[in-house]
Amino acid sequence: MIEQSESQRDGVWAHPYQLACGQTQCHQLGQIRLWVSLEKREWQVRHELLAPDADPPAWQESLAQSPPSTDASLQRFIRPDNDQGVVLYRPAMAALPTVIRPYQPLTIPAGGHCVLYVGTSLWIQVCSGSQQLLALTELPLATPSKTWLGANTMQGEICYASATYGRLALDAVPIRPWRAVTPVTINNRREKPLLLERFSLPTPLLSLHRNERGQLWTPGVVVECETDMSSASLRIEPSVTEAAGSCELIAPAREKLAKGRSLVRAFDHIFG
Amino acid sequence: MFDELQNTLMQIIGSIAWGQWLAAGFLLLLGVVLGTLLARSAGKLTEKRISLHHQVMIRRLVFYLIFIIFAMAALREVGFSLQVVLGAAGILTVAIGFASQTSASNIISGLFLVMEKPFEIGDLIEVNTTIGEVVAIDLLSVKLRTRDNLYVRIPNETLIKTEVTNRSRFPIRRVDLVIGIAYAEDVERVKELLLSLAEQNTVCLEEPKPFVLVTGFGASSVDLQFSFWVVKEEFLEGRGAMMIEIKKALDRAGIEIPFPHTSVYAGSHSAPFRIQLVEPEQQSDKDLPNADKNA
Repeated sequence: MIEQSESQRDGVWAHPYQLACGQTQCHQLGQIRLWVSLEKREWQVRHELLAPDADPPAWQESLAQSPPSTDASLQRFIRPDNDQGVVLYRPAMAALPTVIRPYQPLTIPAGGHCVLYVGTSLWIQVCSGSQQLLALTELPLATPSKTWLGANTMQGEICYASATYGRLALDAVPIRPWRAVTPVTINNRREKPLLLERFSLPTPLLSLHRNERGQLWTPGVVVECETDMSSASLRIEPSVTEAAGSCELIAPAREKLAKGRSLVRAFDHIFG
Repeated sequence: MFDELQNTLMQIIGSIAWGQWLAAGFLLLLGVVLGTLLARSAGKLTEKRISLHHQVMIRRLVFYLIFIIFAMAALREVGFSLQVVLGAAGILTVAIGFASQTSASNIISGLFLVMEKPFEIGDLIEVNTTIGEVVAIDLLSVKLRTRDNLYVRIPNETLIKTEVTNRSRFPIRRVDLVIGIAYAEDVERVKELLLSLAEQNTVCLEEPKPFVLVTGFGASSVDLQFSFWVVKEEFLEGRGAMMIEIKKALDRAGIEIPFPHTSVYAGSHSAPFRIQLVEPEQQSDKDLPNADKNA
């Protein structure tokens, strides 16, 4: 399973990479460049930000004999005795809910429903160790931008703003190794049409799954809008949609939904 | 004479029930120790569930409750009847009330403050000209730690009477920047430039939307108000970073931020000012602005 990295190639999530003492592994993924160096007694993690509008389609990974000479910001971690120089990269969803918008406001007729495919940016967790994983640090793969979702400026919650739009066709969603796809089904059970301008996706509650093509997916989210927008309820499906193909779980959700706690309360402001 | 005095003193000392007083003292001490311990445990128990403000309130309540129970037991031990003590306390209250009006007023103001809860421990508040983080809400006063790390005590009565601004009540805050641009500049272009800065800056929230207003035609500049929203913790950072970015962007775009200046106009009916250029007389090097270049 553990194998020695060679020259430049595609990086893989949750794959154990073996480093020798003094070696540096370089990654270019999303909007960051990351270097992980193994020293005798420590791990060194450096990163620098690329242009905020960069949209690289692949994850490039390569080995170097020395750390970069750039002014990348450095973090140092004491190395546990039994990590055997193994490093692994785990994806993580955003720690705050993410506000999604369709390309243009979308009207769902009374009694109708729609499925929006949403790509959300991930965070990378650098973990060391082969038997017992030790999370060293976590970095956003795209510079997150924040927004406020609430009825007024007094009540509401701080969310991340999604850099991409929700799409009605799966083919239109740009698939990237640093983004996960979530299918969001919105059922309008009201007697009036529903104008969908933006909604909050509960990203901290979503787990990450990888399909056979290496794409990352999360379980689907179903929003039921019954009387008015403030009483919409939200449900996370137990498994990944069939469109993703067969998937394996690679990262659990950041937060577990407490028993007996309804998602309506947890995400009071589904629609802005 | 001296012997008689000594005998009397010995009789008085002998008649005091030392055992009872010792027991009462012990009870008081036990009350303090137990009260502190229980208050601390209550605080720890509720640590994760409630805010720091409520935690401190619960701790204080538990402490005073236990201490009062033990104090009453101590009084009973030395033979005071509780009814007499309470009766005496009634008379004492009137006497003490007159003597310590300020303290009493502060205590009552403190109770109202706790009930009304205009701020909590950890909030950033502004009272008169003092801005600071609330570190304690006590019986008589509220303690603030200012941004330059000074400890400020504000009597509760002052807080009840004056205007208090809580700067951290709501999760987001608006930053208003006033920018003056030269009359010759295109206001629409500056507006677009500022809004694009807000879009690029990650500290700046996307919603509520940032906006630019023309607030007036000043003496030397057209005054604009540039407003955007930030998370309350990032207020200072957001404002500072945005001001640097605005200066850079305006410089890049060649937009002038004018300093106050005055144009002297003689009017159409009066003759223009007569200006004559004269050669400078011999000047010492010190008077020249760039003496090195001229040397």
